[in-house]
Amino acid sequence: MPRILIVEDDDHIRTALRLMFEGEDFIVDDAPSGEVGLALFTRMTADVAIVDLMLPGMSGFETCESIRATSDVPIVIVSARDGTADVVLGLESGADDYVTKPFVPEELLARVRAHLRRRPDKSANAFTLGHLHVVPDEGVVRRDDGTELHLTSTEFRLLTDLASANGKVLSREDLLERVWGYDYFGDSRLVDVHIRRLRTKIEPDPANPTYLVTVRGVGYKLVH
Amino acid sequence: MRRRSLRLRLLVTFGLGALVLSSLFASLTYFGVKRVLVDDQQKTDLRQAFVNAALIRSTLYTSPPSLASLLNSIERATASDVLVQTHRQWLSRSPGALASDVPMNILHSVESGRAVEQTTNQGGDLIFIVGVPIPAVETQVFEVFQLKPLEHTLQVLLLLIGGGALLTTLIGIGGGLWVTRRAVRPLEEVSAAAALIAEGELTTRLVVGRADREVQQLTESFNAMVSRLVERLERDARFASDVSHELRSPLTTLATTTSVLMQHRHELSAPAQASLDLLSADLSIFQSLVEDLLEIARTDAGATTLVIETVPAIELVRQSVRSAAQRLGLSEPPVIVREGAGDPRVSVDRRRFERVMTNLIDNAHRYAGDALTVRVEVLGSRLTVSVDDAGEGIATDEREQIFQRFFRGRAAHDRGMARGTGLGLALVRDHVASFGGTIFATESPEGGARLQIMLPTRQEVDA
Repeated sequence: MPRILIVEDDDHIRTALRLMFEGEDFIVDDAPSGEVGLALFTRMTADVAIVDLMLPGMSGFETCESIRATSDVPIVIVSARDGTADVVLGLESGADDYVTKPFVPEELLARVRAHLRRRPDKSANAFTLGHLHVVPDEGVVRRDDGTELHLTSTEFRLLTDLASANGKVLSREDLLERVWGYDYFGDSRLVDVHIRRLRTKIEPDPANPTYLVTVRGVGYKLVH
Repeated sequence: MRRRSLRLRLLVTFGLGALVLSSLFASLTYFGVKRVLVDDQQKTDLRQAFVNAALIRSTLYTSPPSLASLLNSIERATASDVLVQTHRQWLSRSPGALASDVPMNILHSVESGRAVEQTTNQGGDLIFIVGVPIPAVETQVFEVFQLKPLEHTLQVLLLLIGGGALLTTLIGIGGGLWVTRRAVRPLEEVSAAAALIAEGELTTRLVVGRADREVQQLTESFNAMVSRLVERLERDARFASDVSHELRSPLTTLATTTSVLMQHRHELSAPAQASLDLLSADLSIFQSLVEDLLEIARTDAGATTLVIETVPAIELVRQSVRSAAQRLGLSEPPVIVREGAGDPRVSVDRRRFERVMTNLIDNAHRYAGDALTVRVEVLGSRLTVSVDDAGEGIATDEREQIFQRFFRGRAAHDRGMARGTGLGLALVRDHVASFGGTIFATESPEGGARLQIMLPTRQEVDA
């Protein structure tokens, strides 16, 4: 059974989420604060985490960063804050996904399941980007000197999916479908922020990308 | 009817007022002065004529032969011409004074023994002629005074007074201009500021300068009014946004627990199941409503930072239609691009544009079966995107109203179950307007409704 960590300070929402996920055969760890959530997470690593942004004490952003520092577990932010700045900041603090309240419960469930289903695509071919060697069947990116470059599972998936398109442009919708596994609740900001994060890791000059290029109004493509 | 401009009316009033007053004053002065001058002159002339006549009489009585020398001395001493008829003989020492100058009626009157004074026209010049009979010696004395010098004086006077009147009128017009400017300029400033505010420039205020007290009061009241209004607007917008925000948490709990109940639906009795279905259905409407309200509140408050990008329009429409159909769980209507459309660019916020297409397709689904086609055309520098359906169309009187918040047309009443939030098309209009575009409802060639967006096309793509 999948294990889910729920960090949410509103008692009612937390209890409702616990009930829903338990009803869907999840093992639920719930925490009213980031501190408690992190403690629970260190004791027992969950398969997926749901984190609220407005928390007493340690903020949701910090909670995400702390979880991300030790684990690649998929993190879904659930927040009443839906301004672009919050979404971007949330995703940049390490979250894989962002859902705004009031959410449709089925949608949240579907997203959580999509993240659990997602595994690195090991069938993809290995390829090279400048000094980086991407080896999908091992799930790693190595530099020339053999050291590993750490990518989250979402970033790795993004990179290999763009590579398997063989230089074709993929739209944001295509990427949402392939990488996040969503058919219909895409938010293109998800793609944009992850592309930006990926660029800071693989591009020599992230402000002027040479591998991961934007095709205005259409989408992104990988040049290699 | 549009009234004439206040500026013009004030100016005309001042100008005409000054003209009438100064003309009246000038006429009174002129005619008054003229009368006094002429009367004085004539009295003097008359006296002189009688004095001369008396001299002539006494000369004729005492020493008739010295009449000629007397006339000579009179001629030297006066500016008038003296004519004497004695025993039917005309005698004059004034060059140019002819007996024929004396009008016949005067001659007859004087010959019959009556003294006469008369102003008459002689060859274009006004003269004052005085006739005095001296019956005892059968003599008539006529003295002719030229009125030319007086006339000249009067002409100069007329010129001066007329000039004065003209000057006064000009000064009146000038004063009118000044007063008008002073009075109308604040009005124009207020009106310009009000127009700006109406266009949404809510930071517009009047400048409190060194103006008259009344104008300053107007300026201050106007500014205070605008500030109050803006405050009120902001409070209203914030209130809607706050309320919606506060609704989020309980709504999240409601939605989540309802979904838990749905998981256990099969364990419930039939009435409980039916109630749960109703609860669940209305909850999702409630949820959409709150989402729409939040989006509208954000648009109103201007809080959302628009992320405007210039993108290829046709690709944008295709992608938006696809994700809208996916989001709504509907089949994707074909996107038909009119030949010759080229590769137009538009500046939009992608998310908002997607929302626009989602709401339009959802609207067609609710009220007209489904969206039939999405047509893209370029007309000059405008891109049109038309969402056509094959429904019953939109009644002409409702075509404007459907974009109002919470408007429910007859179609919505007829299809009780297809309830929307009543905000979908209002949001569409707000969003389209934020891209500088317009939307209107018309008929599709298939007979259903056509909702048509018009966006300005751009030349350049963002870097």
